[in-house]
Amino acid sequence: MSGDGGGSTEPPEPPGEVARGEHAAPVTASSRSAGLQGSSKPYRRRGGTRGGGLWVLLAAPGTFWLVVLFAVPFYAIAAVAFGSTDPVFNAPVPEWDPRYWDFTAFSEILTRSVTGDLRPVFLRTLLYVALALGLCVAIGYPVAYYVARHAGRRRALLLGLILAPWWVNYLTRMLAWLNLLQDDGYVNDLLMFTRIVDEPVRWLSGNPVTVVLALVYGYIPFFIVPLFSTLDRIDPLLLEAARDLGCSSRSAFWHVTLPLSRPGLLTASAITALPMFGDYYTNTLVSGSPTTTMIANQIEFYLLGGTRKELGASLVLLLSALLMVVMVYYLISSRRAEEGLS
Amino acid sequence: MDRRRFLLVSALAATAACGGERPGRSTGSSAVPLTRTDSPGALPLHDDIPQVADGLSPESGGVLKILNYPEYVSPDVLKAFGKTHGVEVEVTTFNTMEDAISKLRTPGASFDVWFPTPDVIGKAAVGKLLRPLNKTYLGNLANAWPQLQSPFYDEGSRYSVPYCAYTSGVGYRADEVTAGFGYGLLWDPAYKGKAYLIDDHREGLALAMLKNGSREINTEDPVKIKQAGTWLSELVPLMNIKTGIAAYQLVAEGQATVHHCWSGDMINAQSYLPKGVDADVLGYWYPSDDLGVVGTDSIAVPASATKPVLAHLLLNHLLDPAVAQENFSFTGYQPALSAITPEKMVTDEFVTEGLKSAIVTPEVYARSQQIFQISPAAEAVWLDTWSQFKAGQ
Repeated sequence: MSGDGGGSTEPPEPPGEVARGEHAAPVTASSRSAGLQGSSKPYRRRGGTRGGGLWVLLAAPGTFWLVVLFAVPFYAIAAVAFGSTDPVFNAPVPEWDPRYWDFTAFSEILTRSVTGDLRPVFLRTLLYVALALGLCVAIGYPVAYYVARHAGRRRALLLGLILAPWWVNYLTRMLAWLNLLQDDGYVNDLLMFTRIVDEPVRWLSGNPVTVVLALVYGYIPFFIVPLFSTLDRIDPLLLEAARDLGCSSRSAFWHVTLPLSRPGLLTASAITALPMFGDYYTNTLVSGSPTTTMIANQIEFYLLGGTRKELGASLVLLLSALLMVVMVYYLISSRRAEEGLS
Repeated sequence: MDRRRFLLVSALAATAACGGERPGRSTGSSAVPLTRTDSPGALPLHDDIPQVADGLSPESGGVLKILNYPEYVSPDVLKAFGKTHGVEVEVTTFNTMEDAISKLRTPGASFDVWFPTPDVIGKAAVGKLLRPLNKTYLGNLANAWPQLQSPFYDEGSRYSVPYCAYTSGVGYRADEVTAGFGYGLLWDPAYKGKAYLIDDHREGLALAMLKNGSREINTEDPVKIKQAGTWLSELVPLMNIKTGIAAYQLVAEGQATVHHCWSGDMINAQSYLPKGVDADVLGYWYPSDDLGVVGTDSIAVPASATKPVLAHLLLNHLLDPAVAQENFSFTGYQPALSAITPEKMVTDEFVTEGLKSAIVTPEVYARSQQIFQISPAAEAVWLDTWSQFKAGQ
């Protein structure tokens, strides 16, 4: 018994939506107001507590970590983007003093991104990530739902299998796919054997479908795990109550499970989409074609090759600004979802 | 200009105007002399970085530090050299020359031997990253091609000796390509989806220029550079072209039918063929006129070397024909030595008859075009044009 609601009786396990029957608290106003925290007292978001100093102390390493590994590097990128170039080596010279920042490179990148050659790259990146995220939802939600609510004693095994790809190096997994997707690879063999296609599909010849599928393959575990965590914490008694009030299984899903899983969906989407935006290696491996270039490929191009690293750094800043918008939306939505629950 | 664009441009102009100006910003002109085959240049010497004195014994013990591309020198050759001189040889790798220069400029870092490309030797010498060579230790320099014993980019071999030579041509599967040899192979829709370009802005755009009969592969004229970008962009819809630097693997495995590549890649491809596949399936085309690109790499001693005498001995060692040939068998890139001829390489079974054209000769070197160092402003245009091509424009 999980003790989520603090109750003591175990109701009979209802069919359909409520399968696990681990949660046993009666649905009361106080348990609803406690959200998913399992407390019988209203959830307190703010306000000082005794022992706050201890928590500040405990948070110090994390704060230090954030400053050293995020804020400082981020400032360094800004210093390169707004810095100058060494006249002999053409290497970037970071400008640490904001009074001397030169915005020429950033302006160039901004102009090219809004009206120039980088605009279609940004749009393509948005499209690929949106499609990949859509597929993650379509594939990942049912999987997470099944594992959370119907897997029973096999849930640990299934979770382990979902995470199994992480045991293998990412590059190795992708190289394996390259073999499978070759013109004379097993995937084409199967498609032709089953007469789905008449001639081999050129999966690796700059095919956008391959890029999107590769992104899904690479990142879907990041989607499933946080979503599973949210679905697992939904009190089955809420579903039971919905059914008692006349909801069908489908209706209970739409009106109870889906809204309650929204925070998890948002978290999973953010965790999945953010690295997708910055991924360049997947695209390079499975395509390498100009027709599928994403924005991270352009960042790689400017930062790892040539003498215009200030443009690469400016692109990083611009992409970060866009992702910041996504993050702010996520935070606001999460907050609203939380408030809706309480 | 519509209102939205006007507002955007105004905002950008205002943003650009916000920045302060610190003296010494790059102006876009080169601070390093731009040497050419028809205007060679002797690189500057610095009083505070003298060459090593004559007749010194090589340093022994400790570690001899090498800075090189990955897999670009034979470990066996280095190991044997280290054993002879009682040192451990350690190789640090880089992927681009910018990366290498960054490592050389890292405070406290020291390297004894570096393998730079000719286009960065000038800036490395001006920037005091190199130690002048004492040629009394370099008797084997006489084995190099005559043009490279005092090359245009480093007249008098003040800072460097030649290493490997290569051309940029078209590698292909001889079992699938039987006609139409030339740069046009990369524009032939028969190979759509299985055609690749070298992923390098200078090489890629130079290819487009040469294919269209232009020899101005070092131009600083933005119009001509953009024109090359336009020519190259034809390949996106026509060929679904891809870029990469793994021709040795892709052609060998059949993933690429035609691949713009360096000659050494095709020589290396012989080692990447699947079991049971004969090396005769590999072919390499290089133009017989002057519309081709040739290049060389070099070896130098950084100013930070702690074993400069031993470093000189290693340079001399790598210029020995027998050692160079052993090194060639590992790297696939031929040494620029007079003893290495296409006929000898075929006889010694280093390459098949079909890959004989991948061996560079002094005559090919003399007639071909070379990619030179250009001004930073022009370099920016080349980079941006390539970026636009890679963005699918």
